[in-house]
Amino acid sequence: MAVSTSPSVAAVDDLTRDRSGHVRRRTALDRAIGWLLPLLFLVAIIPILDLVYYVSSQALPTFTLHVLTTNPSGATGGLYAPLVGSLAILSLATGVALAFGFLGGLATAEYVSDSAAGWIRVTANVMAGTPAIVIGLFGYIAFVTYFGWGLSLAAASVTLGVFMTPYVFRATDLAYASVPPHIREAALGSGARPLQYLLKVASPIAFPQVLSGVFLAMAIGVGETAPLVLTTTPVEVPPLGLGSPASALPLYIWTGYQSGYILPSAIHLAFEASFLLLVIVVGLNVLVRIIAARSRRRLEGLFQ
Amino acid sequence: MRTEPVLSESEDRQPFPDLSRTGGRLVRWGPYAPALIPLALTLAVIAALVSASRLQNFGWGFFGFNYANFGVLIFVVGSLLTSVPALLIAMAVGLGIAVASATYLPRLLAAWLDPFVDLLAGIPSIIYGMWGYFVVAPYFGANVFPFTVSRFGWIPGFGRSEFSPSPTGTGLAMAIIILTLMILPITTVLMRDALKAVPRDLWESGLALGATRWEVNRRVAIPYAKRGIWGAAFLGFGRAIGETVAVAMVIDQAEKLPINIYDGTSTMSSLIIETIDAAFITNASGRIYLHFLTELAIVLLAVTLAVNVAGRWLIRRTYTEVAGL
Amino acid sequence: MSEAPPSLSDVVVSVADLSVRARERTILDHVSLDFSARSLTAVVGPSGCGKTTFIRTLNRMTELTPGLSVEGSVFYLGQDIYGASVNPVVVRRRMGMVFQRPTVFPMSVFENAAFGLRLVRTEEDEVDRAVTEALQRAGLWEEVKDELDRPALSLSGGQQQRLCIARALAVRPRVLLLDEPTSALDPGATQRVEATLQRLKDDIVLILVTHNVGQAARISDRIAFLHSGRLVEVGATVEILERPREKLTEQFITGRYE
Repeated sequence: MAVSTSPSVAAVDDLTRDRSGHVRRRTALDRAIGWLLPLLFLVAIIPILDLVYYVSSQALPTFTLHVLTTNPSGATGGLYAPLVGSLAILSLATGVALAFGFLGGLATAEYVSDSAAGWIRVTANVMAGTPAIVIGLFGYIAFVTYFGWGLSLAAASVTLGVFMTPYVFRATDLAYASVPPHIREAALGSGARPLQYLLKVASPIAFPQVLSGVFLAMAIGVGETAPLVLTTTPVEVPPLGLGSPASALPLYIWTGYQSGYILPSAIHLAFEASFLLLVIVVGLNVLVRIIAARSRRRLEGLFQ
Repeated sequence: MRTEPVLSESEDRQPFPDLSRTGGRLVRWGPYAPALIPLALTLAVIAALVSASRLQNFGWGFFGFNYANFGVLIFVVGSLLTSVPALLIAMAVGLGIAVASATYLPRLLAAWLDPFVDLLAGIPSIIYGMWGYFVVAPYFGANVFPFTVSRFGWIPGFGRSEFSPSPTGTGLAMAIIILTLMILPITTVLMRDALKAVPRDLWESGLALGATRWEVNRRVAIPYAKRGIWGAAFLGFGRAIGETVAVAMVIDQAEKLPINIYDGTSTMSSLIIETIDAAFITNASGRIYLHFLTELAIVLLAVTLAVNVAGRWLIRRTYTEVAGL
Repeated sequence: MSEAPPSLSDVVVSVADLSVRARERTILDHVSLDFSARSLTAVVGPSGCGKTTFIRTLNRMTELTPGLSVEGSVFYLGQDIYGASVNPVVVRRRMGMVFQRPTVFPMSVFENAAFGLRLVRTEEDEVDRAVTEALQRAGLWEEVKDELDRPALSLSGGQQQRLCIARALAVRPRVLLLDEPTSALDPGATQRVEATLQRLKDDIVLILVTHNVGQAARISDRIAFLHSGRLVEVGATVEILERPREKLTEQFITGRYE
């Protein structure tokens, strides 16, 4: 019953014949795009390399220990006060962000009903998208003026803490919600009380992710300028207490920019401050990656 | 084959035992309260702004272009003039990178290149400003802008005028350029995620019909990922509008509309940070100016919130892990 | 390995000594098999036997997975599809493929079916004609003819899969490759797809990968049994089912592994 396919049919269907050239054209276009599109990565790579190179080349030649240990004075001096100020503000702000963000994220991941949690997460995301300048204004209105703290370490720290809160919140929420359901059920099902579960089971699992989230929030917070411009003032000495004003690296750079760079030493100092800032940010990001890698290795078996 | 966000699996979760019988209302509602913190803080921010501005009746002048009359439109337009072009460029470049990463490059190479884009997101705004002001702007002022003036000057807005382009290179164009770089990571990452979420066998079905990779991308993958792409646009736009410091440093701040693309101007956020000192003064005019700035901030916040809510709804992916996103 | 010799001028696809390896693992081991016009061959075997990889070598889809090395030849009407001057794009137009899950594109029913045609500049009435014909051959025409513009995703699972078949048929391939096309469908939809495939048998070469022996029994002319990458036995369906020559085949068919 089989009818043979005539040889002429076979000849017509030559796989290598491209009658109107369209296959060649389409393939050539695809190949060209395959080369051109990846080149767009250069749009990202070149600026980064250039930026890092330039900041380093402006900062490193004149970077001495003197810079780190002397207070700024006018367009010369060192970066001691801004550095100490940055560290002080950052630590306090992280505390605030932890207080708000950790508790909030934990509550959302563990207690709140799922539909409400959805809304709360939307709010957290929206809050994360609020411009820093708006948070800064909020800080000025609420802490500097209304609470009467004035332009101070306290005002700056709490304001920055508010800014950092959504990032800590998200990290905590994700961390606790990612505890595999079967582990959660096993723990609760065998009679553990919620607090015990949280302390003994969930937290050790969630800890690395929370920690890296905190470091990430710190990396973002340390570089922010706008919240500080509105809540503190660039004094040339380290803060004495919560009520005294505190300088900070981004604030120092910004103030320098605003007053114009007449002396070359001013430019160098500004870049040295930028370099310091970059080092801190990169350092924190590296920490985040280390934590991610180590915890991935340790917790691999859990997520089967 | 699309992986659902982990958090949507929570129907499997056994809820915590009901505490309603133990202790008083404080213990009952206690554990739930902290979850409201983001909401509370957002409301606090709004409340502070509203009260500080006292919703001062600036009259219709508020919606006008006259800065002396407290008109905000200059700055709204300024924000749009910087953010919209930056968004368009960042979306175009970002889509190209996302397509390259998701469909053209071998996985290993893509894994190496992708973090470079993420790095862009981690650099503090002030350092972008420094680099932009000291490196990019002078370079463009000396090499690029004279060229664009001579070759493209016939396009309205690209020709020279009395003071612009200035040799410092700062101005609207520079603000757009720096802003584009700053929002490139968010657009790229979100679009890359959206493309990677295209089911594998859908992609293969296209190829199995004799289409090239580009044809499948154009006709199947990108339409499939449309929602995520729009989400990336909204969120990128929100980020662009809110960006303050870097923009302020390269925009050649001036409280006027720009004459051409090289001219100085102002955005909502750059105005606030550049002129905030006037609001710190505690006399009557200082107070009024504070009211003005806070009302401007309300406008800025309203736009940002609207755009972010829309964007998040579109991408419907709960969290993204790149720094700052 | 046993095979009923086909009449040579009938052969559309000829697999010669095909081996596929991934690093040190051998997925297909020197498989040789011919497919003649107007037949439906069911490729069966336990999971992991390589049947999906086998069918994917026939339209060079194996090239999408990095690390796979293909040795041997696959001849389409006498030409090696892996030849140096052969573009996979051309090969895939000759071999339609239908996947396990219905993979309709996010567009209308009409545009789905017309997808392959639109890749090449085609006259609009030619497109119309081809789409109509393809939908008829796939047994979907009556159900969608008045609503060709509706989104393909609004169709039921079985309809979507038949649309995928129509989409593949629209460019008039000689061969249709099907990788477990009904495994995601309910029995009613499965039955309709099987009826479609049986009709198509009179027209083109159908190669069907299935883990469902019943399905092979119902619609195939020939069964090829793979095990651990080797072609153990191939023959007429009735022969394989009632009088399998190899022990492995018998075990698989009956499900009794003593």
